[in-house]
Amino acid sequence: MDIKENREIRKSAQDVINQLSVILRTAQIHDPNNIAVTLAIERFLALINQLAELEQNVKLDLIGEFFYINDIRVRYSLEYLLNFDFIIREFRKRELGSVIFKGSIDFKDMQLFLKAFIAGGFSDEPYETMLEGIDESKDIEIDRLKKIREGADVDTRKVIKKIYYNAVSYSKGVMNKIKAGEKVNIKKAKRIVETMVDQILEEEKLLLGMTAIKDYDEYTYHHSVNVSILSIALGQRLGLSKKMLTELGLVALFHDIGKIEIPNEVLNKATNFTDDEWKLIKKHPLWGLKAILRLKGLESSSIRSSIVAFEHHMNYDFSGYPKVRKNTELDLFSRIVSLADQYDAMTSSRVYSRIPLAPDKALSIMMERAGSQLDPLLFKFFVNMVGVFPIGTLVMLDTRELGLVYEANVLFAERPRILIIIDSKGQRVHGPTVDLTEKDAAGKFYRTIIKTLDPNKYKINLAEYLL
Amino acid sequence: MEQPEEIKEAKDILQSLIKAKKTFRMYPHNNPIYIKTLDETYERFKNFFDYKDNFLLKIKQNSIAYDSEQIYYNPEKEDNLALFFFKDGLRELIFKNGLLRDELEEFLKIIALDFDREVIDDDIVTLLWEKDFKNIQYVVDEAFLIDIDEDDYATIAEEKVKEKITQIDDLMRAYTDGFHEEDVKGVSIVPLTDKDLQLLVHELEKDTSDKAEKLVAILFELIYQAESKNDLEDIFAFLRDTINFSMKHGDIYTTINIMKRAKDILDDPLLGDDEKKYIRMLYSYLGTEEVISLLAEILDSGIEIEDKFFKEFVGALDRNAILPFIKFLGELKTIRARKSVIEALIVLGKRDIQALSRGLEDNRWYVVRNIIYVLRKIGDKRAIEYLLKTVRHGDIRVRKEVIKTLGELGGREVIQTLKDALSEQDMQVRITAVKALGTMGSEVAKKIIIDDISKKKFKEKDFDEKKEFYEVVSRWKDAEVFNFLIKALKRKAFFGRSRNFENRACAAFSLGLLGNKDALPALYKVKDSNNNLLKEFSVAAIRRLEHGH
Repeated sequence: MDIKENREIRKSAQDVINQLSVILRTAQIHDPNNIAVTLAIERFLALINQLAELEQNVKLDLIGEFFYINDIRVRYSLEYLLNFDFIIREFRKRELGSVIFKGSIDFKDMQLFLKAFIAGGFSDEPYETMLEGIDESKDIEIDRLKKIREGADVDTRKVIKKIYYNAVSYSKGVMNKIKAGEKVNIKKAKRIVETMVDQILEEEKLLLGMTAIKDYDEYTYHHSVNVSILSIALGQRLGLSKKMLTELGLVALFHDIGKIEIPNEVLNKATNFTDDEWKLIKKHPLWGLKAILRLKGLESSSIRSSIVAFEHHMNYDFSGYPKVRKNTELDLFSRIVSLADQYDAMTSSRVYSRIPLAPDKALSIMMERAGSQLDPLLFKFFVNMVGVFPIGTLVMLDTRELGLVYEANVLFAERPRILIIIDSKGQRVHGPTVDLTEKDAAGKFYRTIIKTLDPNKYKINLAEYLL
Repeated sequence: MEQPEEIKEAKDILQSLIKAKKTFRMYPHNNPIYIKTLDETYERFKNFFDYKDNFLLKIKQNSIAYDSEQIYYNPEKEDNLALFFFKDGLRELIFKNGLLRDELEEFLKIIALDFDREVIDDDIVTLLWEKDFKNIQYVVDEAFLIDIDEDDYATIAEEKVKEKITQIDDLMRAYTDGFHEEDVKGVSIVPLTDKDLQLLVHELEKDTSDKAEKLVAILFELIYQAESKNDLEDIFAFLRDTINFSMKHGDIYTTINIMKRAKDILDDPLLGDDEKKYIRMLYSYLGTEEVISLLAEILDSGIEIEDKFFKEFVGALDRNAILPFIKFLGELKTIRARKSVIEALIVLGKRDIQALSRGLEDNRWYVVRNIIYVLRKIGDKRAIEYLLKTVRHGDIRVRKEVIKTLGELGGREVIQTLKDALSEQDMQVRITAVKALGTMGSEVAKKIIIDDISKKKFKEKDFDEKKEFYEVVSRWKDAEVFNFLIKALKRKAFFGRSRNFENRACAAFSLGLLGNKDALPALYKVKDSNNNLLKEFSVAAIRRLEHGH
């Protein structure tokens, strides 16, 4: 499939979901036979059948926060945001994970689906009701939403922690082995990154949440893993394939490997660096390139890793280091890793500036740098990914509650899930987690963020709350 | 399906997989045995799926079980399918109803890889993961990814990071301060527009470009930034690795690019002698057996290389590439590849005839013949010294080639050899020798041929050979040859008349080629000869002299 065709399919996929949302919204107000509904169905059929001509079966999946059509994630522009948000909520309400349109769909099939969908909304067993409702349809099938299970959240968090610490442990092992001149197993690295990619594709926010905890003793190893996770998550937003995401994750994991050459007393110095120390620090991209190329025989991923290790501090406008005689455009992965690296470094406590920034403050600074030091286009995607209130942000709510951002909300960035740590009476609590998109009967939000504070200033240990 | 039958079916499928693993390793994908094995294995799966939805295998170190029943056991390390899966962490393999033939083929291709011998950067799990099969799933034990001494890393790290409990005072201070903070403004989400998406698509399209080129650009930059010999040593080792890597992937363009860049900076006054020494060493590396063997593989693989680029590549080579090229000349499988190597040797051989001539000692006759061809194309008389030693080569094809070449190269030193070759046992060699003398075109050569024809035993030769001799002599368009031929045309004999007629017919043929119309009276005299051969050739000669054809 060529790129143009791919783009057209992507656009059609976006239109399909949008139109499905229009039908469902209209059908909730009007009778299924009403002209507004039938017109919307006609439009939807034109779209879905056009897609079916190219793809035979069209499978629509809701995975995490995203819709996928035939395994391709559907990107959408802002104008569709409300419709997408609506349909995601409606799917979740019915525990509906997939709809499979088998070949050409007719009007009757869609009416059947609509009736089942509406019935599902009023049922205690929504998915089962839907399943029963579309039993007669030969061309439309459904499947249950995979993530809704009792206790699944707890299990998933355990898995996430395991994946994260595995990666950190590996990262530590690699650095130690390189220092000792021992052989490094790249196959292992790939496997570790693959598990991170799988997790991010499944539900990015949980693994992203792990990157918010910065108080580890072994900053360097955690930083490498954090940058890898943030890069994969950004790569996912950019629509990179699984294979590309693995390469990106791997490249990011090794981006700072040159630092093994910097003496620990310099690296972990509590005060500001001297000029000579800075000179050493600025060598790490070159040392990184060398270390990677020396690891083992050259292969595609080591070529890219070495390029990124060399370029990740050069900056979009080449104002960084190392300086070269002839500037050529930075590799895409270098620009991605550079964003992830700056963000993680700024929000951590053991970096050059020595002053950890609150996530939202770090984003503000990065915004000023977008277009000069940072790629402005990628930054847009990055902000959309971490949200205006990234995980770990300390917030004051209009309910006089103090909380920590616990999970980002892809659709409503300013309305994440919050873990309350001081209640409205000023009492220290551990939870509950509240969803800021929740509204009262009058349609007014229960809670809204009014202030942000720096958790570092108050020595708030995020691990205590987020792990 | 009843239980025992189901187990039997499962065993059969597993045996099919084992067989296919071997077959896929041995045969290319278009081989009938490969296709048959795939079809049979697929058929077994399809039959199984008529009754069951999943085919689930549980894997242990030395055994594989289906439905709690062990259906495979092998305690050995070699050829152990269970261990093959187990060592990379695979614990369950699930084939689902709906399995596609293509999926099965890709799966078999993966398990057929020789992980011990081939340089494969991925393990089985990664390869399966990358394929993302819809109907083949697996369960992996990731425990082995953690180093034993880091077993507890997660617990320790988590406990440690949680140690510093947030103090209630700090928390309350945050709460109080919170009321006095400014209201949020910060970063707002920048909406993504269609234009952003277009720009992104453009970025992703650009990203497909070759990364090795970028690395090369960086490495050349680093030559300028090198602070020590060690730095240079590293950079040039990486450049060599890049050449190696790209050539292994069938790409000669990156190497050409490297050599172009090397050439460009060789005269740069900003670079010192050390840098230049390394650049020259890089040129030498290109001509090593290591690189030339990779080039040979590319040539044999059928990858299209534009003539222009191949010439550029060869142009960058040093003469040390000659011997490796000779080595691979005898090993290449395709004519196209051999032709390319010969072209390369013609270019490179000019720089070192001696090295090229070592190819004459090769024990493969076809290599020797090719080298002689190359020497002829180069046309350097210094090769004669080496060629003369090859004249007695055991293979007649080589002897012919060398005689032909000696004739083209000419010179006094080849005369005796060619003269001797006229007495060779093999007629083809003698013909080649006379032609070679003709190519030389010297008076001495002429005399040798005339003398040979004049010998009594000449007429004993086959007619075809005689004709060749007479044809060659006609290239000297002088009176001596004219008179010699007229004399031969008129010569009569009492004994061996038919042989004599052959000689006279050849003389008539040669006179026709000579183009001197003074021969016409003599030819007219014999044109009505009773001997058909003489008659035919003299008529043809007259026609040629009178009408030019």
